[in-house]
Amino acid sequence: MDIVLSVQNLKKQFRLSYKQQKLQNTDKKVITAVDNLSFTANRGEIFGLLGPNGAGKTTTLRMLATLITPDSGDAFVEGYSIVKEPDKVRSRIGFLTGELKLEDFFTPNYLFNFFSELYGIEEGVRNSRKRELFSRFGIDRFAEVKLANLSTGMKQKVSLVISVVNDPDFIIFDEPTNGLDVLTAKTVTDFLLELKAQGKTIILSTHIFSLVEKICDRAGIIIDGRLAALDTVSALTAQKNLEDVFFDIYAARQGGAQ
Amino acid sequence: MKGIIAIIKKEFARFFLDRRMLITTILLPGILIYVVYTLMGSVVSGLVSGDSQYAVAVKNMPQSLSPLFSTVQQLQITDADGNDDDYKAQVEDGRLALYVVFPEDFDEAIADKNDPAFQTLQIEMWYNSADENSSLAYSLFVGVLDAYEESIANLFDVKDGGYDLASDASVTSYILSAVVPMVLLVLLFSGCMAVAPESIAGEKERGTLATMLVTPVKRSHIAIGKIVSLSCISLLSGVSSFLGLILSLPNLMQGAFDGFSLSMFSVGDYFMMLGVMLSTVLLLVGVISCVSALAKSVKEASSYVGPLNIIVIVVGLLSSFAGGAASPLLYLIPVYNSAMIVTDIMALSVSPLAFALTMLSNIVVAGLLVFLLTRMFNSEKIMFNK
Repeated sequence: MDIVLSVQNLKKQFRLSYKQQKLQNTDKKVITAVDNLSFTANRGEIFGLLGPNGAGKTTTLRMLATLITPDSGDAFVEGYSIVKEPDKVRSRIGFLTGELKLEDFFTPNYLFNFFSELYGIEEGVRNSRKRELFSRFGIDRFAEVKLANLSTGMKQKVSLVISVVNDPDFIIFDEPTNGLDVLTAKTVTDFLLELKAQGKTIILSTHIFSLVEKICDRAGIIIDGRLAALDTVSALTAQKNLEDVFFDIYAARQGGAQ
Repeated sequence: MKGIIAIIKKEFARFFLDRRMLITTILLPGILIYVVYTLMGSVVSGLVSGDSQYAVAVKNMPQSLSPLFSTVQQLQITDADGNDDDYKAQVEDGRLALYVVFPEDFDEAIADKNDPAFQTLQIEMWYNSADENSSLAYSLFVGVLDAYEESIANLFDVKDGGYDLASDASVTSYILSAVVPMVLLVLLFSGCMAVAPESIAGEKERGTLATMLVTPVKRSHIAIGKIVSLSCISLLSGVSSFLGLILSLPNLMQGAFDGFSLSMFSVGDYFMMLGVMLSTVLLLVGVISCVSALAKSVKEASSYVGPLNIIVIVVGLLSSFAGGAASPLLYLIPVYNSAMIVTDIMALSVSPLAFALTMLSNIVVAGLLVFLLTRMFNSEKIMFNK
């Protein structure tokens, strides 16, 4: 099997300020957000990272997208290290997350062109991709409307399109359907499946179990920064549905911890 | 390189396509400064030269003085023969600007001025210092009296009031070189302050900077692109304010500034001026950008930048007091060197070495600041501190 992403003993700690310590009612000066995480993703699959809020999903994805560096461990995207060759990793991935925003002042058309330029994409390629993606998501009618004047759903579609502006083979989606109505959410999940059909590899973080059951090939369950389970979705859900599986694992973890 | 150009184009688009920003940052400062200074000039000159007339009542007007006073048109002099207290009351309530009482035998007494028994004559004047008209009438009147006193006891004169060998140009440039550097620095700084925190701290706050950071464009290219484009915009803002200032100077100074003309500077002077302004703006934008990158929001950035503004004002003031620099090495001190070189250009006495050192120093420091900003863009602690 062709391994596109290989995560090896990734670890990330955050220092807590005095104020944060008080807020969280803890004496610990350092919290471990991601603790020795290892997994792989194969070409052409959708890999789900499932976990409660604060489990370390977003931190993991931010490390994979090279926005932050791990304290120890490494991960390789198509063979390139996120620690040593972040530039090469960046040009090969797409990253969609709520914390990356687009400037409200510009139009979808302008933003698509701008980001294409940052990726060094030729004009001809850019224009045909833009036409295709804009009509696929119905953005073409709003191509010259400032982002500030678009609906939440349309904004998310624009973000989605911009995140794959470089036609990456490896795409990271952090909670892509958060805050969307069912119709827009469906457009997004349909698009994920379409990307998969094109042979792209997708890492998807979510706390929506049904989404994982519906579209993921394999899934890892993260609790407290550690991988609690990792298997194909069909194997995980062989006996119970994913939600119950998660509760069992969570209860076992809590029990073990006490 | 493509990344830098893309960033610069984006910053320009963000700025020049936004009519509100364009007006408030570039058009308004120049126009406002021009209008305000011109108004100030005409108000001040109206006070000084105005056509207003002041009613003055004089008791016992000496015959020798009466023709002198009739030449001063602003003073409407009437003979007073009533009660002193009535006139004083009129001065108090503003109906009369001034009430003057001469000694009765003024002319006779003056004629005996060489008599050893001569005693200095006392002229009594009542005026109201809280009333502008009254004060002005008082000054005018005293002026005429002083002139008369001087003419009757004349021992020597400075012929024709002395001969000023300074050309108009050097008088003008002397005045300009004292005022302009500080004002220019302040204007440039406020231009930078209007754009840099918004573009760095603002983008960080809104999460749009992070979106650029996940693309393969180099951090250093983002830093260069930002600093270059913001400098151009700040320079435009600075030039606008500066033009407003220079063009309004003749209006502001009115008659006091007759020798003023912009044509006394050569094309080379203007280019040097522009060069200094550009290198200074690069430096200032660099500093403000680095400070803004530390801040979590535009608001926080503005509060950090405030104290810097004061430093720039103080440095500008220092250079006005310092006069000619003793050592060329002083031209290596950023910001201070800009103020000094502007002083030199205005005084028409700039040395090529000083100019070269200034440009070099400013550009090297700006380069270091680009490097620092790049490091900051790379630091997750600075970019993602929540």
